[in-house]
Amino acid sequence: MKKIFAVALGVLTAIGGFVDIGDLVTNAVVGARFGMSLVWVVVVGVVGICLFAQMSGRVAAVSGRATFEIIRERLGPRVGGANLVASFLVTVLTLTAEIGGIALALELASSVERRLWIPFAGLAVWLVLWRVKFSVLENVAGLLGLTLVVFAVALFQLGPDWGELVDQAVHPRVVEGEGVPTYWYYAIALFGAAMTPYEVFFFSSGAREEKWTAKDIKQSRVNVVVGFPLGGLLSIAIAGCAAVVFLPRAIDVTSLSQITLPVAMAGGKLLLALVILGIVAATFGAALETALSTGYTLAQYFGWSWGKFHRPAQATRFHTAMLVAVLVGTLVLLTNVDPIAVTEYSVVFSAIALPLTYLPILVVANDREYMGEHVNGRTTNALGLVYLVIIVAASLAAIPLMIATGAGG
Amino acid sequence: MLLSDLLDAPVHDADGRALGFVVDVRLVLDGPLDGVLAAPRLHGLLVSPRTGSSFLGYERTDENSPALLARWLRHRHRGTFLVLWDDVLPPDETHTPPAPTITLRHDYRRWSPALPQH
Repeated sequence: MKKIFAVALGVLTAIGGFVDIGDLVTNAVVGARFGMSLVWVVVVGVVGICLFAQMSGRVAAVSGRATFEIIRERLGPRVGGANLVASFLVTVLTLTAEIGGIALALELASSVERRLWIPFAGLAVWLVLWRVKFSVLENVAGLLGLTLVVFAVALFQLGPDWGELVDQAVHPRVVEGEGVPTYWYYAIALFGAAMTPYEVFFFSSGAREEKWTAKDIKQSRVNVVVGFPLGGLLSIAIAGCAAVVFLPRAIDVTSLSQITLPVAMAGGKLLLALVILGIVAATFGAALETALSTGYTLAQYFGWSWGKFHRPAQATRFHTAMLVAVLVGTLVLLTNVDPIAVTEYSVVFSAIALPLTYLPILVVANDREYMGEHVNGRTTNALGLVYLVIIVAASLAAIPLMIATGAGG
Repeated sequence: MLLSDLLDAPVHDADGRALGFVVDVRLVLDGPLDGVLAAPRLHGLLVSPRTGSSFLGYERTDENSPALLARWLRHRHRGTFLVLWDDVLPPDETHTPPAPTITLRHDYRRWSPALPQH
């Protein structure tokens, strides 16, 4: 019974924790502009993150080494260091977007300016990081994030032409008035939103936080393989809502209130309240995960003691790094940048930074010295190589497409 | 001397012929006790003839998967060998900067880069 409960909790938090500000914004923007014609990218991204999280979780459980310890060991100090700089900057950018997301959601709930909420959001994130136990912060945010399921409820209540939506999804074509480069730019953005490096840093370091061993591999695999695809369905529902409400009216999504509008249209105040709760939980949870990831990456590269299982006084540099990251994110937001714009950039830079994190994990997941009998099987390796090609291609194409399209114009 | 002085440094034999680049160092834990572990000692350098980039650990074992990746890295780093630190001439300290060149003794020996199997 206890085991079933643990599996259910793991799956539910994986679903609730899957969607963050990147998924919310990118799926809504893409739904409004391209309808369902980019759903295939969400599918590719979800399979990719399942593969990657599952490998890094297994490596962490069996070898006891989290992702950035592996990167440092295999790539050496120089390439590893360049990777650290890139991954750290992308994670801080994502953290900034998440804190902005919390403030935007609180603004929606309270009608108080987001700029007034930003310092409180940053402070709250830091207090939770400092005081709350790892398992509590992970589970509470994940479970509350489940209320985002109202996007799926709203999609049904809007009563869309299902045939049309399915047709857009299975016969993807570029919508009239949009360029082909723009289509591919948003494809990369969606891919980066689904496969964000911090998710893997968090997942593998979380395996150490929760003291996983080889015995826990099976459960972690269930969490990932069941939870993430269901989280992916939520992403698709967000895109679907935007496709039904905004695409026919040719309205671009540029604010969080627009992202929640279809839910309000379909279900009134009650669903709106739930969706705002879900967005606060999802962005708050992701802010914690990204902030922890900044500490994990730095500490694992430099060999500092890290982890929430240490008291802050025993892992001072780890906690200082997180504090500085939260502070930087908060200060950046106070310059009045638009959190939605920050989010759109963060997902693309995630896609750019991904290959250097992915490659060492793929290699170490095959190393018998580390993994013993738990090395990758043939199917995982075949899929792993296919994804290596996809990830490298997306990373290389991102900057040229960003320039060519004026960041999606 | 720092690890980053060694990594990627060009390696020459005693006659000045280029042999390749340092891609990794091999440490052994057989020094006096330092805390809970024995102090590490520099055992040797891994020299790859064509590139200073990482071999990603494929030199240590005969691990062969994922096949395409392993084959490509083995091809890129073919001829990689281990040279013992005792076979390296003391670096010319007067010659900094730029990055030092590693020069080997004229009777240096090439060892297999694989880790001993136990």
